[in-house]
Amino acid sequence: MSEPVLAAILTRHRTSPPNILHTLLEIQETLGSVSPGAIPEIARSLDVTEADVAGVLSYYPELRTAKPGRHVIRVCLGESCMANHGATVLARVRAHLKIEVGETTRDGRFTLERVYCVGNCAVGPSLMVDGEVVGRVSPDQVPALLDSYP
Amino acid sequence: MTRLYLSNDTSARAAGTERLAQAWASAPGLELVRTSARGAFFLEPLVERDLPGGRMAWSNATPDDLPNILAGIGGTPVNRIAFLADQQRVTFANFGMTRPLALEDYGSLGGWQGLERAGSLSPDAIIGELKTSRLRGRGGAAFPVWSKWQVAKDAAADQKYVVANADEGDAGTYCDRMIMEGEPFRLIEGMLICARAIGATRGFIYCRQEYPAAARTLREAIAAAERAGWLTDERGRFHLEVFVGAGSYVCGEETALLESLEGRRGVVRAKPPYPALSGLYGKPTIVSNVLTFATVPSILARGGDWHASLGTEGSRGTMALQIGGRVKQPGLVEIPFGATLAEVIERFGGGMAAGARFKAVQIGGPLGSLFPASRLDIPICYDAFSKAGAILGHGGIVVYDDGTDMVELARHFMAFTADESCGKCTPCRIGSVRSREILEQLQAGRSRPGDLDLLADLGETMKGASLCALGQRAPYPVLTAIEHFPDEFR
Repeated sequence: MSEPVLAAILTRHRTSPPNILHTLLEIQETLGSVSPGAIPEIARSLDVTEADVAGVLSYYPELRTAKPGRHVIRVCLGESCMANHGATVLARVRAHLKIEVGETTRDGRFTLERVYCVGNCAVGPSLMVDGEVVGRVSPDQVPALLDSYP
Repeated sequence: MTRLYLSNDTSARAAGTERLAQAWASAPGLELVRTSARGAFFLEPLVERDLPGGRMAWSNATPDDLPNILAGIGGTPVNRIAFLADQQRVTFANFGMTRPLALEDYGSLGGWQGLERAGSLSPDAIIGELKTSRLRGRGGAAFPVWSKWQVAKDAAADQKYVVANADEGDAGTYCDRMIMEGEPFRLIEGMLICARAIGATRGFIYCRQEYPAAARTLREAIAAAERAGWLTDERGRFHLEVFVGAGSYVCGEETALLESLEGRRGVVRAKPPYPALSGLYGKPTIVSNVLTFATVPSILARGGDWHASLGTEGSRGTMALQIGGRVKQPGLVEIPFGATLAEVIERFGGGMAAGARFKAVQIGGPLGSLFPASRLDIPICYDAFSKAGAILGHGGIVVYDDGTDMVELARHFMAFTADESCGKCTPCRIGSVRSREILEQLQAGRSRPGDLDLLADLGETMKGASLCALGQRAPYPVLTAIEHFPDEFR
């Protein structure tokens, strides 16, 4: 059964030629993720193969097949952050949240990811919380910083 | 009413300007103007104010500094900040002074003059100006810009495209982000000049997903420029759109970027054909990075000869260097090509951060070579780097201190490549994974005789047989780490 929201998005994206990435990004923005179960319907609507859709969905790190936690923490491991002990920051985040990269906390509060550079190299080490960059993060600040998010 | 200037750039905000803006939001008699960033990020949060003697700055400000700032106590004249005064800025000349989305600010400081001049020239004359300027693409490949434009201009097609590569994925670089957030009209102006020269009516800015503020600012800037009529000329309207990517590094490679823009997996295409002939949807397409487009308006406004008079024989003009890592003064430095690496790190970077000792510097992002202290005499220009088997790339300079574990760093580089390889060609897809494994074995104390030879062998294969720069360049940081710090790999 197709969700009406999904159907509405798909109708908007019946362009020629179709843009699979654009479509999946908008579905994710609206629904939080792209359910693999929706692949056949997306493929039918865009007039492409299911493999085309599945291929794009699995290729891009930013496309998700499951809803993330309330907050997405992305710790920067770009070279400048690495030089400034970004790996230690990541270790503290993992220890505090008790999850590994790619996982979501049991209470659904945080999803932890890594990112290779957020362009904040002069104010690192950096992490990004829900799209906002936090700079000059010292490992000792990590617990208080994370606890400040509901 | 006292007017204070505070940058709204992502890095300035991350350093604390946003916190100051919130703390002072309801202070009486205060007007806060949010500007682009000067690029002196080590001084952020930086608060500025016009006083009779000129613009004054209070660096590393805290909310409690407000009374002093209002009383005019302390502070430094902006023109006496050596980090800024010693630069020779062209593309970034107005940064820190303008409001990013204010058309009147951009216009009053020289904006649109390049486009207006281009409007009085034929397409061939515009391209001739670029040829005289000897501008080379600033994204990494350093290809002569005029030559691509000529190919696209001469191609007969019902549709041509101008694409800005705003997928600034090289770690250690942020000048494109600063342009998009700080002076988006400059990028738009450069793209409009290109569109005019090659006869394009559609353009895209492919912005990486990690730069949400840049994408927002660009969209607003395009709308503002459109309302003011800048996107329309006697040929009609130029349709310009922002497309946000989805987190893939290889999409910064121009053909992978085009695949992604068409909505498919961001997989590299074999070249030729080059995009200037057969690019987006098979049509002639100019793909250049943001800094390249942003350099074009000044060339048209001031003339190709002026641009060619700056820099070195093979590298004309200025370069935006982005200093990061363990230096005292990380930030953006725009100077003519030709200064040595040592000069840049000492004079602008201010030397090492407190308590840190120099170990190595990496130029050109995650695919760039490492240089030890003995090699810092290399001048910053395309030819010297190429002769040294290195790349200048997008101008990122990351300094590592003596606490850096080179084996772990090398493993990190290969893990990155293994993560980001698009998988189309075998040397990159398999070579990066095998190389990472060898380094992991070494870390675990389980390396076998001949492992380092195998690593070098894999590296040579990747360099010679990969389709794009990701596979071709990935071995360089690893192999230069082994070359300069062999003891750590025993």
